Amino acid sequence: MDYRENEQEAAFRKRVHDWLAENAPRNWQEEASDEKAAGRITRAWHRKLYEAGFIGLSWPEEYGGRNLGPTFEAILNDELGKADTPRISFHNYLGRAIFAFGTEEQKRRFLPTMLSGEVQWCQGFSEPNAGSDLASLRTFAELRGDTYVVNGQKMWTSGALNADWCLLLVRTDRDVPKHKGITCLLTSIRAPGIDVRPIRISDGAPETCEVFLDEVKIPADQRVGDPGAGWRIAMTVLSFERGPADIGMIATYDTALRKIEDLAKARGVAGQPEVRKALARAYVHGEALRLNVVEQLSQRSAGRMPGPEGSVARLLLTEAQQYINHLELEVMGADAFNGRATGTFNSYIRSRTISIFGGTSEIQKNILANQVLGMPR
Amino acid sequence: MLRTTAERLAQRYAVRNPADLATIDRAQSWQAVADAGLLGLRARDGAQPFVSGVEVMLVAEALAGALTPPSFIGTILAEELLALAGVDAEIDAIAAGSARYALLLTRDLTQLADAESFNGAVGFDADAAGYALGLSRGRGGARLCRYAIAGVFSELQTPDFTRVCVGPATDKKRPEAELLGSAVTAEALDRWLALALTLTCADIVGVLRSGLRQVVEYSKTRIQYGVPVGSFQAVQHMCAEMLVKVEAASSMTRYAAWTVDALPPSESLLAARTAKAHCAGAARSVAETVMQAFGGIGQTWEHIAPLMNRRVMFDRKLFGDESHQLLCIADARLGAA
Ligand SMILES: Cc1cc2nc3c(=O)[nH]c(=O)nc-3n(C[C@H](O)[C@H](O)[C@H](O)COP(=O)(O)OP(=O)(O)OC[C@H]3O[C@@H](n4cnc5c(N)ncnc54)[C@H](O)[C@@H]3O)c2cc1C
Repeated sequence: MDYRENEQEAAFRKRVHDWLAENAPRNWQEEASDEKAAGRITRAWHRKLYEAGFIGLSWPEEYGGRNLGPTFEAILNDELGKADTPRISFHNYLGRAIFAFGTEEQKRRFLPTMLSGEVQWCQGFSEPNAGSDLASLRTFAELRGDTYVVNGQKMWTSGALNADWCLLLVRTDRDVPKHKGITCLLTSIRAPGIDVRPIRISDGAPETCEVFLDEVKIPADQRVGDPGAGWRIAMTVLSFERGPADIGMIATYDTALRKIEDLAKARGVAGQPEVRKALARAYVHGEALRLNVVEQLSQRSAGRMPGPEGSVARLLLTEAQQYINHLELEVMGADAFNGRATGTFNSYIRSRTISIFGGTSEIQKNILANQVLGMPR
Repeated sequence: MLRTTAERLAQRYAVRNPADLATIDRAQSWQAVADAGLLGLRARDGAQPFVSGVEVMLVAEALAGALTPPSFIGTILAEELLALAGVDAEIDAIAAGSARYALLLTRDLTQLADAESFNGAVGFDADAAGYALGLSRGRGGARLCRYAIAGVFSELQTPDFTRVCVGPATDKKRPEAELLGSAVTAEALDRWLALALTLTCADIVGVLRSGLRQVVEYSKTRIQYGVPVGSFQAVQHMCAEMLVKVEAASSMTRYAAWTVDALPPSESLLAARTAKAHCAGAARSVAETVMQAFGGIGQTWEHIAPLMNRRVMFDRKLFGDESHQLLCIADARLGAA
């Protein structure tokens, strides 16, 4: 494996870099005062990136993509993270469900607007009683003629407040084993009968939502894959979600670490051996993560779908990210607690969710033990 | 006896979820704590405190376990200072629940503030407090001094939602300090710091023990894959590890509490710092694991787990965190570097 970028990749990096120097939004953190404002900023930035040709790099041209390899996505994410731009939505991994399992018509209908950012998506998988055990979900869809009528409740649907459409997992058959009775439907989040209520997470932000579905009508042509194929689709989506590159978290890690290094200098603690070692260790954690992801990406370039080994990177990410949130608290010292720098504590407590969403750390370890190491259940 | 009383009160005024903080009647619960005789515990009978450090520690632990809003440890520590300076009238008022004092701490929260460190100081446990109690260091040794809170201090937005902190408003000049009682010796202040560290540890132990108990209960009723999540060995190991940390924290805190009245101040301070060094580490690790074992629900604004995390993460810094204590312990054992 050659770790250098080839000529085409290096040229692309330079193009992105130069474009960002001109176009990256500034001071957006201050403008993102609430969830709605943050949603508007995300959407506008997504559109701008799309218009500049930087979205959907690894997607086929016929759906609005650029036909490039996954390394270009990684370069883009890297430069975006360095430029400290707003996070754009998680279209990439939700789109995989439609791309891999949808009909030609569905791909043409949904993928281009998903990539362009015109239509924002959210992921309606989890339910109050179906978290780690996702397959026990109960939201039920009954087929009447050519329409599904859906009743039930989703929980933890992140971004639903600002979304337009939702990728929904529902039960369509209660008489078969639980994994076989699940179906994947696409619905407008504004369809009659859908009620979205925010859930505030530990820092107070309404980041995720409860979604109540009461007699919601979904045309059967918005079903992805066959009836009962939902579980396979969900697993594909989750394996992409677990890859840190797809959720753009590698470069943001690097930027976050740089900021903590600067903070340590500004607060005059960067000379303390304990702090120096901790900052260096954070860098080592980041490199462990980055290099593992680079290797996985190169396998994906060779055409392999992400598999259960993605949980390795996911656990590395969790460890690294939570470590630097601890470190930031240490560097900030008592000022994080005496009312002077409340934001530090908020980032810290928010970082605790990383070991929960997309499958808890315990579940990631189960996956590695069972599916990669082949240990008995 | 005291402990049973404290546990009963803690149950009656327990914060079971963050919403309770808005509805709980703080004045009434404070009066109930006073009426039960829990606020005069460190008043003196001659030179002897009414009850030992161990009993005070047990009360602090019981109240903390319910996140009961009364600012118990700040008050008891203020009372101890006033007792050391012989300010008897104020002690009676505190015991009756009619006077309330915050502790004026330095910006880094490690010690009592004096005039020099007044700017940026933090009035800890200031719920309904009339005064903040700090030090004045002069030639005759340290004297207690108090500042009226009204008009001079304003509430600080700290991550801990269960207790109130205030700070001097930056646009006002420092008010005159009112000196109280007689001078307090350095030895007495060391003993006081040992008590302060011990009660902070008791606060941590109380919260963590309660968090562990609650998440274990939850793990018996939360069903995933057709079984309670508590039946998964991964979850059992998380809980068993928490138990180990909490039990060690508790043993160390008990010993530290015993030393407060029984051993020379330097030995008591070493025991208290040792306890705090362990408790500070346990605080973060257990509070985070409680959140983890609750799953997604443990990450929400309405849930008790982050509220507990906020409280013990503050306690971690209070009177010095792990690394602060380790350096002091090293100095005590090796001599200053
Ligand atoms: C901030 C946030 C955003 C989220 N966003 C989304 C989203 O957009 N869309 C969506 O569909 N979902 C989302 N989720 C839901 C997330 O996927 C679930 O919370 C997660 O899978 C855990 O489920 P649970 O909360 O029900 O916890 P539970 O499954 O009840 O877990 C409780 C505890 O038991 C442990 N446990 C459970 N089963 C096992 C096992 N077999 N072996 C060992 N330990 C086990 C868990 O690790 C955990 O510690 C989000 C969650 C959060 C907190």
